[in-house]
Amino acid sequence: MRAAPVLLASFAAFAALDGAVFHTSLYPWILSPDGSTGRVEMVLRNERERPKDGPQVLGIGDSRMIMLPRVANEHTAETGYTFGTIATPGASPRSWYYMLRDTDPTARSYRAILLAVESYDDAEIWDDDADNERDLSYIVARLRLGDLWEFSHSYDDWSKRWRAARGILLKGLVYKRDFEDLLLHPISRIRYAQLAHRDSFGWLYGYHGPPDTVSGFQVDWRARTLAAPPNANPDLVDGLKGRLFSAPPPESGRKSRYMKYWLGKIYDRYRDSPTRLIFLRLPRGGFVRPDQPPYNPHSSVRELAAHPNITLIDEHFFDSLEKPELFHDQLHLNGPGMDRFSVMIAQEVARILGPPR
Amino acid sequence: MLFNTPQFFLFLLVTLALFYASPKRARRWILLAASYFFYMSWNWRFAPLLLSLTAVDYAAAIWMERVESPHRRKLFLVIGLAANLGFLGFFKYFNFLAGMLAQVLGKDAHAFALAIILPLGISFHTFQSMSYLVDVYRREQKAIRSPVDYALFIAFFPQLVAGPIVRAREFFTNYYKWIPPVSEETLRGVLWILLGLTKKTALADQFAQIADSYFQNLAAHPGAPAAWSGVGAFAMQIFFDFSGYTDMAIGMALLLGFHFPANFRRPYLAFSITDFWHRWHISLSRWLRDYLYIPLGGNRHGALRTYRNLMLTMLLGGLWHGASWNFVIWGGYHGALLGLERVFGRKHFQEPPHWLAYPFRAAITFALVCVGWVFFRAATLHDSVYVIQQMFSWHGKGILIPAWLGVLLAISLVVALMEEKFEWIDRLVRGPAWAYVAAIAMLLFSVELIGVTETAVPFVYFQF
Repeated sequence: MRAAPVLLASFAAFAALDGAVFHTSLYPWILSPDGSTGRVEMVLRNERERPKDGPQVLGIGDSRMIMLPRVANEHTAETGYTFGTIATPGASPRSWYYMLRDTDPTARSYRAILLAVESYDDAEIWDDDADNERDLSYIVARLRLGDLWEFSHSYDDWSKRWRAARGILLKGLVYKRDFEDLLLHPISRIRYAQLAHRDSFGWLYGYHGPPDTVSGFQVDWRARTLAAPPNANPDLVDGLKGRLFSAPPPESGRKSRYMKYWLGKIYDRYRDSPTRLIFLRLPRGGFVRPDQPPYNPHSSVRELAAHPNITLIDEHFFDSLEKPELFHDQLHLNGPGMDRFSVMIAQEVARILGPPR
Repeated sequence: MLFNTPQFFLFLLVTLALFYASPKRARRWILLAASYFFYMSWNWRFAPLLLSLTAVDYAAAIWMERVESPHRRKLFLVIGLAANLGFLGFFKYFNFLAGMLAQVLGKDAHAFALAIILPLGISFHTFQSMSYLVDVYRREQKAIRSPVDYALFIAFFPQLVAGPIVRAREFFTNYYKWIPPVSEETLRGVLWILLGLTKKTALADQFAQIADSYFQNLAAHPGAPAAWSGVGAFAMQIFFDFSGYTDMAIGMALLLGFHFPANFRRPYLAFSITDFWHRWHISLSRWLRDYLYIPLGGNRHGALRTYRNLMLTMLLGGLWHGASWNFVIWGGYHGALLGLERVFGRKHFQEPPHWLAYPFRAAITFALVCVGWVFFRAATLHDSVYVIQQMFSWHGKGILIPAWLGVLLAISLVVALMEEKFEWIDRLVRGPAWAYVAAIAMLLFSVELIGVTETAVPFVYFQF
C-alpha cells in the first residue's frame, strides 16, 4: 500500500461518512425533540409540512413570541390570512436568518413575516447575542459549508469562531450530547422521534399556555422591593427580581451592531420580494420597569423601517397586555395573555396588509 | 500544548513538514527546536532546568568514558545520578518529606512546604538520563559526542512528557541509522496516532467523568456496585488515557522515522499480577528491573532476598508515581501480590492457563488490579479505606457506568482480544487498503461523535 493515496482515501471516506450522516437529513431525523437542535428541526419541519391554503403570515422570534396560530387562525375568515410560527425559545436574529432561509427558500412564500423583538431601541441586555454559542446548536442542521466563513466570523471571540467553524465542518461535534442521549436509550429515543414526526404539529398548534399569573406580587419601585405571595416559587421570585431590579448593562453598541447585521441580512433576502417584514415589540412583562432605555432613532429596526416593504407595529401597541394577570413569569405571557396577544396580532397584521389580493 | 488539541496537531504538521523539507544535516536541529518549543509551551521557565540537566549528564558520560580509574568513573556516575535525583527529589518529593518532618516536630503539615511547580515530564526524562549514565558506566553504551544529539534524546517531544522511557541504544540505533519511514510505517504511525486519540477522547475522558464524580463525592455513592463501577471507571480511564498517549507518541515517532518499544500490551487481559506487569507500562517495568531489581540482586540470592528486592522495587516504583503514601501503598500492594504469586508457584502465574480457566483468572486479576487503583486514585488514605470497605460491603445498588459506555467497553474488549489473538493492527497496514481506510474513517468518526472535545482533558500521567 502506498501511504499518500491510502491516507487521502481514508480522510475522504471519513468525510463521506460524516457527510452522509450529518450533512443530510439522516441524523436530524432522529434528533431528540427536547434538544435545542431537535426542537428547531421539529418547528421547521412542521412549518414546511403545514398545508398552506390562502395567504400566509409567518411569525418568528424567541420564546416570548407566543403568537398562537390556533387562536390567530380562528379569525382567518375575518382577516383573510393564515398564521404559522417558527418562533423558538432562545433564538435570536442570527438563527432567524438561517431558519427563514430554509423555511422560505424563494423568499416569496409568505405575505408577511412577523419579527418579534425585545426593543425598538437595540437596548443592551446581559446575554450577549453576538457571542451566543447556542445559535450553533439551534441551527447546526441548517448550516451549509458555504456558511462557514460568515457564520463563524459573526462571533467576536476567536475560540467561538473556531468552535463554530469546526461545528459546521464536523456537525457530529455539535450533535455529541444528543448522540450520547441516543446511546443511552436508543429504542425509546427513536420511538420518541417518530412520535414527534407524527404528532408534534398538534403539540405546537394545540398549545394553550399555562394559566398561572404573577398577580399576587407587589413591586415597590422606590424601595426596589418585591413582595411575593405566600408559597411563591423561589425561582420565579428570583427571576422577577433579576428582571425588575438588576442594573442594565452598559451601552456598548454591540447589540445594535448585531441587530443591524442580521436583521439587515433578513431584509436583503426580502428586498425584492412581495413579502412584507413586520416588526413588533414584545410585551415587556407583567411589571414594567420605570427606567426604560432611551429612545434610539438610529436603532436597527427604526433604520430598517425607512425601507418600503418594512412596517413597524406601534411599539406601545401591546402595552395593554402588560399586566400581572396576563403573565405567568417575569417574561412570558400566560394562556389568556397569549390568546389576546394572538388576536391582536392577527387583526393588526390584517389592517397593515389590507384585504388579501 | 496537549496531544489532544488542534494546536498540537498543527505543531506536529509543521514539524513534519519542516523536518522532511530540510536537508538531512538540519533535521536534528529542527527536531531539537521543535522539542524545546513543545516543552516551553507549557512553562518556558523550566527550559534552563532541562538544558542544565542535559549538560550535566552529557558531560558526566563523556568524562566517565574518558577516565580509566574505576573510582573516578564511579564519581562521575554519582555526580550525574545525584544531579538527576536531586532535581527529581526537590521538585517531586520535597514537600512530601517536609510534611513528614513537620509532623514529626509537631508542626503544621505545611509548615516547611514550598510553592513548587512540578516540571513537566521530570520523572520520565530523569529516568531516561539515569539509564543512559548507568549504561555508559557499564560500558553498554558509548557516550554521545554530540551535545545536540544527546539533547534531542532527552527532549524528543513525542515521549518527553510521559514516555515511553526509551533507552539510549534504542534511540540512537534509530537515530544514527535513520532511514525515512516506508509507506507501511507511515500508515502504521497515522493509525497509532488516531487509535491513541480515540482511546483518549472517546474512552478515557468519558470514563474520567464517571470516576471523578465517584471519587470527588464518595458519600453520594454508597455500596458495592457504585464502588466497583467507580473504581472500574478509573481503571478504564487510566488505561485508555496512558496507553492512548503512548500510542500517539509511538505513532508520531514512527512518522519521524523512530521506532519506540510498546509500552502496553492489553494489560487487562493479564491472567496474573506477574503477567500484568509484563503488559502495563512496560518501559517503566523494564527500567525498574534493569536498574533497580537486578542491581539489588534480583532473584540470585535466595527466596528472602528476592522478596525483599521485589518489594523494594515495587515500593520505589509506587513512589515514582507521586509523593504520597497512597502511591507507596499501591506499589507495596503490587509487590506483595507479586511475592505471593512467587510463593504459590512462579510457573503457575507466568504461563497462560487453560483457555477455560483464562476468563476466570483474568477477571480475578482485573479485580485485584482495581483494588490497587483505589490507592492510586483516592485523595487520601482514609478515602481509600472507605472505598475498599464499600467494594466489599455487599450492599447498595446503582452501577455508575451507563449502558452505552458499557457497550463501548465490550467493543473495546473484543478489539483487544482480536489484537491479542490476531495482531490486527499490524495486519491492517499490510492488508487490503479498504480495511485500513474503513478503520481510519471509523476512528475519526468515533472521535467526532463520542470524544470529549469541548475541553482538552490533560493526560493523567502528565502529573507524574
